[in-house]
Amino acid sequence: MSSKTRPRQHLLVIGLITIGMIFTAFFGMRAFHALRKFNGHRPPPPGKVETDVELIRDWMTIPFISRTYQVPPDVIFETLKITPQKNHDKSLKVLNDEYFPDQDGYVLSLVKATVLAHQPQPNPDSASTEVPTLTAP
Amino acid sequence: MSEYLLTQVINFGAPLLGLILFLGALGLPIGASVVLIAAGAFSQQGILSWPSAALLGLIGALLGDMLSFGMGYYAKDWAQKKFGKSAAWRNARTSFQQRAGVTIFFTRWLVTAIAIPTNLIAGGSGYKFSRFMLYDVSGEIMWIVLYGGLGYLFGSQWELVSEFLSNFGGLILGLLLFGYGIRQAWNRKQKTKKVEA
Repeated sequence: MSSKTRPRQHLLVIGLITIGMIFTAFFGMRAFHALRKFNGHRPPPPGKVETDVELIRDWMTIPFISRTYQVPPDVIFETLKITPQKNHDKSLKVLNDEYFPDQDGYVLSLVKATVLAHQPQPNPDSASTEVPTLTAP
Repeated sequence: MSEYLLTQVINFGAPLLGLILFLGALGLPIGASVVLIAAGAFSQQGILSWPSAALLGLIGALLGDMLSFGMGYYAKDWAQKKFGKSAAWRNARTSFQQRAGVTIFFTRWLVTAIAIPTNLIAGGSGYKFSRFMLYDVSGEIMWIVLYGGLGYLFGSQWELVSEFLSNFGGLILGLLLFGYGIRQAWNRKQKTKKVEA
């Protein structure tokens, strides 16, 4: 091995160890934080409809949101005053840019509010079975 | 980019997923792992049919890997001309041949950031194609089952899975670089001791 390559290899080894340590610390912290989030968010049990509207993103389409949250698509299109024709495959972001270019994030917030207001009622079985007492007039 | 692709996967389904995984396997930075986890979630929500998504996704990823292996294979002569006399290049080739199977398998699903260089080196170092495919198919199946399966399991909460897995891959890469660096330093120290003795 030549005397020139030795310092170069030494530098390479130091570089590898340093980059390795930086990567480990950076991604380790991020992975740990992501893992902690799991404890706060559990997926809905199978067969249950998603109810958390904060999971709605602006890349989603209205039929997709409608299916996930079980809210009729027409209701969402009506609230937005947009026709479903030619718009059913567009993301919320594209719809916002097209129909409400001056109001950033308007479509997303309106869709969230609409879904929240029109979510299907919870199963009557899970509701309180207590019968209200009738009083004579 | 990923967000635009997610919208299109909702609209066009499994064939587009296959195309995305193909382009991802060629090294295009389009967030193929993110799209795969999301596709698992879309399957759980009934947007995609999971058997066709898994099959077309696997075909796309394998075709991309084959093509990038081919690129390495056809660049072999050029690399040999340029670096052939270098001892470091020869050492790297020998070292790769010794651990190629494990490297190919784990870079498919655990340390995906170095999957493309692995394919190129495999092709360029004259690694046997049939062996490459054996480890490639096993690794890609693992990737699709694990990432797609977690997306399916977590449904609409798939973004948490994606965030964790992308950082976990970086963590493993960091540990590998650190471990390799320490090993090289140890080997150098042992060599110096021998020379001194």
